[in-house]
Amino acid sequence: MFHWLLGDKQGLARIFQHFGQMLEDGRHTFDAACNTLVGGTDPDAVRDDLYATDRRINAVEQKIRRELVVHVAVSDRAEFPVCLKLMSLVKDAERIGDYAKNIFDLGVRVRDFHTDPARADLVQLKDRVSRLLAKMRNLHESQDEDQARAFCEQGEAVLRLCDERVDALVDGASDSTHPVTSALMYRYVKRVTAHAMNIVSSIFMPVDKLDYFDEDPETR
Amino acid sequence: MPSHPSIPVRREVPAWLRAALLLALLYGFLVAIGLMSSAFKILGEGHAGGLFAGVTNPFAALAVGILATVLVQSSSVTTSTIVALCGSGQLALETAVPMVMGANIGTTVTNTLVSIGSVRRSAEFRRAFACATVHDIFNFCSVAVLLPLELMTGFLHGAARTLTDLVSFGGGVTFKSPVKAAVKVGTRSVQGVIEETGLTGGALSIALLVVSLGLIFLCLKYITRNMRVLLVDRIEASLNSVLGRSGVLGMVVGMAITVSVQSSSITTSLLVPLCASGILTLQNAFPITLGANIGTTITALLASMAADSPLGLTVALVHLLFNLAGTLVFYPVPTLRNIPIRGARRLALLASNNKLWLLVYVVVAFVLLPGLGILLFE
Repeated sequence: MFHWLLGDKQGLARIFQHFGQMLEDGRHTFDAACNTLVGGTDPDAVRDDLYATDRRINAVEQKIRRELVVHVAVSDRAEFPVCLKLMSLVKDAERIGDYAKNIFDLGVRVRDFHTDPARADLVQLKDRVSRLLAKMRNLHESQDEDQARAFCEQGEAVLRLCDERVDALVDGASDSTHPVTSALMYRYVKRVTAHAMNIVSSIFMPVDKLDYFDEDPETR
Repeated sequence: MPSHPSIPVRREVPAWLRAALLLALLYGFLVAIGLMSSAFKILGEGHAGGLFAGVTNPFAALAVGILATVLVQSSSVTTSTIVALCGSGQLALETAVPMVMGANIGTTVTNTLVSIGSVRRSAEFRRAFACATVHDIFNFCSVAVLLPLELMTGFLHGAARTLTDLVSFGGGVTFKSPVKAAVKVGTRSVQGVIEETGLTGGALSIALLVVSLGLIFLCLKYITRNMRVLLVDRIEASLNSVLGRSGVLGMVVGMAITVSVQSSSITTSLLVPLCASGILTLQNAFPITLGANIGTTITALLASMAADSPLGLTVALVHLLFNLAGTLVFYPVPTLRNIPIRGARRLALLASNNKLWLLVYVVVAFVLLPGLGILLFE
C-alpha cells in the first residue's frame, strides 16, 4: 500500500517514453530492411530481429492506445489534446515499421540488386532518411519548433527527390536494371519520410491540421 | 520518470500541504460524525434520523438503505449516518445490518448513470452498461444470499460483535482513544457555537444534523478530490497494470484506489469508459469492482472512530464482513462468479437493444422496489 502511494510518478511521461521506443524501433527496422536490398545483407540474418522488432512496434502501439484511454479517464482535461495527438502519431510510427517490412520483402525477392546502377543513389537516400529518423527521435524529446520546421524542409526535399526518380523510371529515363524494384523502393522511402514528417510536424502543427502540414503554408 | 516538453505543466500543490489538508478534512469528517451523534441523542429515540426513523423490519431497513444512498448518491454518507445512529444508541444493530446492505446496493446507481454517457453508441453502451451493472447484480446476489442467512443466524453481526470485543479488549473496556478525545474537542466547540444561538431541544438537534450532514458531504467531497489529484498517477499506473489481468491483483487495485479516494463510485465509474472502449474486459473489471466494494467500507470504519459506543464500530465491521463474505461466496468458484457477469451481460444486451430497459431497470431497482419495500414492510 505504501509503495503504491509513494511509487514513481508515471502518467503521460511513461506513454511518451513508449512512443520514443517506437520511434527508435522504427529506425532500426528501416535500416535493417534497407540493408538487405541495397547493402547486400543476407535477409535470413536479419529476418527474426526485424519481425520481432515489428511485432514490438505493433504491441507498443496498442499499449500506448490503451494507456491513453486510461490516462484520459483518470487525469485532468488539460492533457486531452496531447493524448489525441499521440493517438494519431502512433499510427505514423507504426506505418514506418510496416514500410520497412515492405522494403525487406523486396530485399528477399531481389537478391542481385547490388549490381543495379540505381543502388548508389538509393544507398545515399537510405542514409539521408536514416539520419532524419534519428533526428526525429531527438526532436520528439526536445520538441524544438525551429528544428522541427527545418526537419520538414529536409523531408520535403526527400519527397521531391523520390517523385523525380519515380517519374524518371516511368519515363524510361533511368538506367536501373530493376525498374519496378527501384520504383517501389523510392515509393516506400517516400512514405517513410512522409510519416516521419507527420510525427515531427506535430511539434508545431495544431491537432486538427496533423497530416496536412504540406497543404497549408500558413500553418508551417 | 522525467517529464516530456509536450505535457502541459500542472499547477502542483505541495504534497505536504495536501497531506495537511487531508488530515484537516478527516478531522472535519470525524467531528461531523460526532455532531450527528449528538443531534440524534438530543432528538431522542424514535425520532432519530428522518428517513431512518422508526424502521424495524429488516426488508424495510434494506429499502431505506438503498433509497437513502440513491438520494444522496454516496454510500459513505449513508453508512456514516448509520454508524452515528448506532453509535449514539438510536438504531438497533439488527436494523442497521440490512440498511448497510441497502447502502451497498444504492451506491451502484452512480456508475450505472455514468454508463448512460455512451447510450447512443450501441456496442460501446453494451460494454459500459455491463461493466456498471455487474456491481449492482453482485450486490443484489450478495444480499439475496447473505441477508436471509443473517436473519436466520445473525452470523454477520455476531462476528462483528466478536471483533469489536477483541478491539476493545474483551468488551469491558470502553473506547478512549486519543483520536476520539481530539474529535470530542472539535465536536464540543462546534456544538457550543450552535448552542450560543439560543437553539434548544428539537431545533438544536435539527441544526446539528444540518451542519453535520453538510460537513460530511463537504469533507468527503474534498477528501475524494484531494486524494484523486494526489494519486492520479498511481491510479493510472495501477489500472494499466490490471488491464489484461484478472483476479486478486485487480481486487487489490480496486481496494487500494477506493481506500485512497474514499469512494467506490469513483473507482467503478473509472472502469466504465475503460470497458466501453473495450480495453478492459468485464471479467477483468469484476474483481476490481469487488475490491472497490471492500475498500469503500473504510469510510464507516473511520466514522466509527468518532462514535460514542462500540456499536458504531460493530456496524462498520458488519459492512466490511458483508462485502468480504459476498466476495468469498461469488468470486472463487467460477460457476458462481459467472452469475453476476452473465447477468450483467444479459441486462446490457436487453438495454442496448431497447433503451426502455435501461429506464425500467434504474427506476424499478433503485426507486420503485425500495419505495414499495418501505410502504409494504413498515
